[in-house]
Amino acid sequence: MSTDTATATTTTRTAARVVDAVKVYGAGDTAVRALDGVSVGFPAGRFTAIMGPSGSGKSTLMHCAAGLDTLGSGAAFIGDTELGALDDRRLTLLRRDRIGFVFQAFNLVPTLTVAENITLPIDLAGGHGDREWIDALVDVVGLRDRLHHRPAELSGGQQQRVAVARAFAGRPDLVFADEPTGNLDSRSGEEVLGLLGRAVRDMDRTVVMVTHDPVAAAHADQVLFLADGRLVDRMESPTADRVLDRLKAFEVPS
Amino acid sequence: MTSRALPAHTLRATVRLSLSSLRAHRRRFAGTFLAVFLGVAFLAGTLVMGDTLRASFDTMFGDATSGTDAVVRGADAITTPGNSQGVRRPVPTALVKTVERVPGVAAAAPDIQGAGQLIGSDGKPIGGQGPPTVAGNWITDAKLNPYRLAEGRAPSKSGEVVVNRGTAEKGRLSIGDTTVLRTPDPVRVTIVGLATFAGEDGMAQVTFTGMTRPDAEKYLTAKPGTAAGIQVRAGPGVGQRELVDRLTPVLPKGVEAITGHESAEENTEMISSRFLTVFTLLLLVFSGVAILVATFSIHNTFAIVVAQRTRENALLRALGASRRQVAAATLVEATAVALTASLAGLAGGIGIAAGLQALFPAIGFPFPEGDLVISALSMLLPLAVGVVVCLGSALLPAVRAGRTAPLAALRETAVDRSGASSVRAVTGAGLAALALALTLTGVLVQPSLWLAGLGAVLALSAFVVLGPVASTTVVRILGGPLDRLRGVTGGLARRNALRSPKRTAATASALMIGVAVVSLFTVFGASLKATMDQTVSRSFAGDVAVSTPSFGAGGSGLSPGLAPAIARRPEVADAVGLGRGVAEVDGEGRALTVTDPAALARVFDLGDIRGSLDDLGTDGIAVAGTEADHQGLKTGDTARVTFTDGQKKTFTVRAVYGRSELAGDYVITRAAWAPHRTQDSDSLIAVAFRKGVGTDTGKAAVEQVAARYGDPEVQTRGEYAESSAAGIDMMLTLVYALLALAVLIALLGIANTLTLAIHERTRELGLLRAVGQTRAQLRAMVRWESILVAAFGTVGGLALGGFLGWVLVKASDGASDSAFAFALPPARLAIVALVGIAAGALAGLRPARRAARLDVLRAIATE
Repeated sequence: MSTDTATATTTTRTAARVVDAVKVYGAGDTAVRALDGVSVGFPAGRFTAIMGPSGSGKSTLMHCAAGLDTLGSGAAFIGDTELGALDDRRLTLLRRDRIGFVFQAFNLVPTLTVAENITLPIDLAGGHGDREWIDALVDVVGLRDRLHHRPAELSGGQQQRVAVARAFAGRPDLVFADEPTGNLDSRSGEEVLGLLGRAVRDMDRTVVMVTHDPVAAAHADQVLFLADGRLVDRMESPTADRVLDRLKAFEVPS
Repeated sequence: MTSRALPAHTLRATVRLSLSSLRAHRRRFAGTFLAVFLGVAFLAGTLVMGDTLRASFDTMFGDATSGTDAVVRGADAITTPGNSQGVRRPVPTALVKTVERVPGVAAAAPDIQGAGQLIGSDGKPIGGQGPPTVAGNWITDAKLNPYRLAEGRAPSKSGEVVVNRGTAEKGRLSIGDTTVLRTPDPVRVTIVGLATFAGEDGMAQVTFTGMTRPDAEKYLTAKPGTAAGIQVRAGPGVGQRELVDRLTPVLPKGVEAITGHESAEENTEMISSRFLTVFTLLLLVFSGVAILVATFSIHNTFAIVVAQRTRENALLRALGASRRQVAAATLVEATAVALTASLAGLAGGIGIAAGLQALFPAIGFPFPEGDLVISALSMLLPLAVGVVVCLGSALLPAVRAGRTAPLAALRETAVDRSGASSVRAVTGAGLAALALALTLTGVLVQPSLWLAGLGAVLALSAFVVLGPVASTTVVRILGGPLDRLRGVTGGLARRNALRSPKRTAATASALMIGVAVVSLFTVFGASLKATMDQTVSRSFAGDVAVSTPSFGAGGSGLSPGLAPAIARRPEVADAVGLGRGVAEVDGEGRALTVTDPAALARVFDLGDIRGSLDDLGTDGIAVAGTEADHQGLKTGDTARVTFTDGQKKTFTVRAVYGRSELAGDYVITRAAWAPHRTQDSDSLIAVAFRKGVGTDTGKAAVEQVAARYGDPEVQTRGEYAESSAAGIDMMLTLVYALLALAVLIALLGIANTLTLAIHERTRELGLLRAVGQTRAQLRAMVRWESILVAAFGTVGGLALGGFLGWVLVKASDGASDSAFAFALPPARLAIVALVGIAAGALAGLRPARRAARLDVLRAIATE
């Protein structure tokens, strides 16, 4: 695993990238080009947000970059590993060992306790993980007193915090978050975003987040804008207002 | 049905709704369809086959005896318990002359019949393990003879015989061969002809040897000049009834005439009651078990489907559908499944019957050709059972569907995760206590099969009711090692099995019932064997036994000359032959044991003996204690015995003995029996060696003697006990084969429940796959869940079956005169457990494969 050496390398090193990514859903007249030749890299040690209107292809980009979906043409890499060359088993193992996920909802296995959910990827790998690291994570997400509860006994915000802890538990190369605050009230959402931001800045993790919320995007280091399956813009050090303005520009036909 | 109260147009909407939902979720009902289909097919197949067999036998006897217009025979039959056919007094053959002189009689022939077992070319006796081995006179009037000469010629001089073709083939004998016929004394015979019966190679598996009339009289009857009956053919223009009316006046007292038609019917009836009824009843019982198991699977499917559809139903309710409409929609769905599955089942049943018709001849059982008999009853009954079971199982879930609150549409998940209510626990505990009380009373306090049986049914109900209460604990214990063995995959499997205790319990209940019945029979079979073993070791004090097969008719028996011949050997101290006779004792038909009572007491342990068996003489009788109590007899009393030849004689009870297991209820001397004897044979000869004679030496000596008497098998005590129990293994094999269906249905239920569970856990499975569960791990997880549910059912079934086995054995022990031993066969039960668990793994295969095929993204996105 390259995470330990990542601290030493420059920020230009990319944790994941896609090259000329094309993804077409359907065929013939009803064909939709969800990704239409996107090339982008997600730099290690940074928090990247992907934004765009509905149907812009932002979720598809994330799914393909994370190995949950396959590209029609082009290539996707995690580190130097080309995902298209991997079979389902290797892809699964890669997800388990090198990628963390936070979904919009239904992030936790209802039969497992909070503690078991956090260590699930590690347990699936049959490993022991880094106990100190996990211990520290539990404190960061502030769930020590809930470790033996079931997901059903937690609030939505608490559940997402567990999901964040789970995503980072195995020290993955990068964490993909798909609308992680979509189902939360603003206060809980703020907590979750704060956690993701701290993970990147304090613990040198890499996070890629898909969102449609400018306030959420403002927590990122950079924002990528997608429209009609193409990468149309990039913004460094975003603020909620600037992001909002940029989004409005999509709506005004130029 | 509920729909009765609905106006026609709303009913139409309901029907449309449920049919479209059926189409959309066809897969969900595949398990239900199969369960109903299998149950109905088995039931219909049994009924059709029973009717067809009965009709075939009818035709067969009708054809074979079509030339016989009347039968003259003894009027009274002495029937003993367990033998409905009875034994009739023989008629004098001199009566043939009288009959022939009656106007309208074209021909008459005596029918002399007895037991005769042929030895095959390999030196082994043919048949004898079931159907009778018959020898008789070859009736020369071709129309009166039920057998037709197919090859060769009729016997014309002493020693020549005709045998039916099936027997010849089985013994690899052909025309010109010389072999031995045990009558039971060995007679050398030469085969001169082969015969058929109603166009078939034989009358089912009955073996027939036709001899000349003098030979038959010499070897098959005790006194020359008697026959079992006289067969009469009418001249032209004389009807059967008319013939009987003309015959009756000339017949002596105690002899009657019946029409040929009646005789054929009696023969069919005899086969029906002895074989067909028992066979059909057995099959019906097992289809009942299969259908009971199916009920659980079907109920479970509907319960789950209704739960999964809560949001949909709630939406319907919110949009204004009445409770009734929602409930009716589910019932309409159930009706559609029930009807299609039952109709398919009927077709399947006819297919099964047709298949068996084709299969039977291939395994050497002549199944007469002819069309399948498909009666209205054998179609309507399975159809009704299928529909009622399916609708009945869907009733509660349908009512629950109707009760869905409109607000449930807004709730997140709707799976019933509720565990066991305290009402359930209390009800179950109450049932269990009542069951225990009843069975224990029925077993220990006041032995009664009825009481114990009622308790057994209650115990079954208690197990089913308590299932959800027990499932949490039992699955946790059974799945305990999984965490350590299979890591998180095993842990997840265990927790999935624990998720919905009611569902797990209902799924497992189906298998539990199957396994319970299997283990019940396993335990009962082992106990019967142990009982035989105990009987032999307790009652049989001899060293070796010469016996005929204990199963079925037992062939021709043993020559009465064999026992005295063995007794003359220097190695032998005592050799006692046990013959069987039938007589009426104080007006009731009873089996008598004909033997040397003094020697009997030396070779058998007869328990406590009041009086003495030493000199019964020709007017003394010994009675078993329990029978004596029943009849109110004690030593010194007199009993009036009526023999099959019609003679009556008063006997004095000279001894009452304790153990009747091998010796029977009544014992008389050979001298007392001789004047009334029929074809004599012994069924068992017990031999005790002199002191110092080894088993091997003694056995060899006895075998030497036996070789001269048709070479029956000589067995040590252990071998004798084992061969006595051989029939039990055959029965068990049949029972296992029949129960396989119930177990199969239970497994379909497990597979179906799992498939439905996977459907509702789609998102969770997607999540697991996304965070790194490999397909192999996912498959293992589903498989282990299946194994756990199966293990729960198996453990419950073993416990219940073991308990019911104990109840059955103990209640039989208490309620009957003979003592039953209880035995738990650990190896066999372990195999049952393994099969149950392995079957669980099998049931999980398909759902596991389907779950592993889930597309990760789509699974996560599923609502």
